[in-house]
Amino acid sequence: MNNKGNNREELIREVLGGILRQSTSSVAFEDADHLDNDVMAAFVEGNLSEREAKPVTTHLVDCSFCRHKSAELVRLDLRFAEEQIEAPSADSEPAKVSDVLSGILGKIFGAGEGAVFAHQDDEAVEKKEKDEEE
Amino acid sequence: MTTFEEKLQELIEQCRETIESVYSECNANAPNFGVSQEDFTGSISGSVSRFLCRGEEDLPSVSEVREFIESIKSDDLFLAIACAHGNERAWWEFDHQHRGYLERISRHLASTDLSAQEVIDHVYVELYGTRVVDGVRMSKFATYSGKGSIRGWLRTVIWHALVDFHRASHDEVSLDGMTENVGEGYTHSTFKNQDLGGEDQMIDRLSHEKYKKATLESIRSAFASLDDHEKLLLLYYHSEGLKLREIARLAEAPASPLRDWFQRRSKAREKNPSARIHESTIMRWLDKTYSIVMERFCERLTSVHSLGEKEIDICLELATRDLADPDVYKNLASNA
Repeated sequence: MNNKGNNREELIREVLGGILRQSTSSVAFEDADHLDNDVMAAFVEGNLSEREAKPVTTHLVDCSFCRHKSAELVRLDLRFAEEQIEAPSADSEPAKVSDVLSGILGKIFGAGEGAVFAHQDDEAVEKKEKDEEE
Repeated sequence: MTTFEEKLQELIEQCRETIESVYSECNANAPNFGVSQEDFTGSISGSVSRFLCRGEEDLPSVSEVREFIESIKSDDLFLAIACAHGNERAWWEFDHQHRGYLERISRHLASTDLSAQEVIDHVYVELYGTRVVDGVRMSKFATYSGKGSIRGWLRTVIWHALVDFHRASHDEVSLDGMTENVGEGYTHSTFKNQDLGGEDQMIDRLSHEKYKKATLESIRSAFASLDDHEKLLLLYYHSEGLKLREIARLAEAPASPLRDWFQRRSKAREKNPSARIHESTIMRWLDKTYSIVMERFCERLTSVHSLGEKEIDICLELATRDLADPDVYKNLASNA
């Protein structure tokens, strides 16, 4: 490419870069249909096929909120990529998730365990009832 | 007449063997999660409908559905289905494997006025689900498809929860303000005003306006003519300030569609389809895209605005100066 071509290419980079840095989107957070977390996460990890990724790419071009979110997620992905996945220690006792969740829900709603946690399995309920009878 | 649901069901039925094989493997790895094959198939069917079906007339082929099922992070999906059903063992497994990670992400993202622990608690409640519809508890886990890793999905859930928290605590907040307060943020660089000296005086106001209009229209047209993946590359690089290595990360997966789109006709790619994507590769993609824009920009100025070579140079030089005025070229991307 001759000097003139090079110079033009430099200028077009500057112009385009400047324009895109200044560009904003009119898409409002509340009004727009945004990509859901599942689709977004799969896109950021490069796990979508061409067919799946096409509408996502089109959306990201138009929606600055989702684009910014995806960019932040890429940064996060890289930041935590080198973290080792800790293997669960075999000797630790399984904590009852009902206890964990009841604590959280109680903290948020100020309610007791019984009011906020209703999924206990039948076996657990039967055992509790039996204990109460005894 | 066959309905969309029936057609989808037929497709799933044709892939039953694949589903059964994936299910058996997951069930062997975690037999105490209590996930039935029916639940597993139902979840996959929902994901196929969401990711692959663009409407009744555009259904995927059987091989596309099979490929989709095989690409799913099946163990993560199995765990998520079990957690959605409230299986104690699965929740323990989830808590044990991922809580530490969730806490680190939350601490990294939360700003001083947001409590990382508060966000974690909120996310746990959402994951479990407190709303009951038709007797079914609405767990957020049910929205996970297994298309990406569960950790990638959790990162996104945490990020979104933080934005929601921020919005709730700041009544009126702009989109930029909202997103820039979460995470690492980015800085909008401003364009430097170039002093072109005496040349500026040679161009009177009228022709300046004419060139400005022609430049804006032609740049807009050139940008709009790009394919979406090319536009997105430019937007990530310039508007979001992603670094080359960050964009490379986005295209790193061997099956990444971005990689496919940019390297479609690449001989090197044909020889080694899973070769690493380096920063220099992204730079080359950018260079190619700039060349396309420049070519179409000049073509437009010549054919539509009847400008000569010298005038094109003037347009470009004026444009670099005009960028100091933030209103001139606003909304290029959204108008494209």
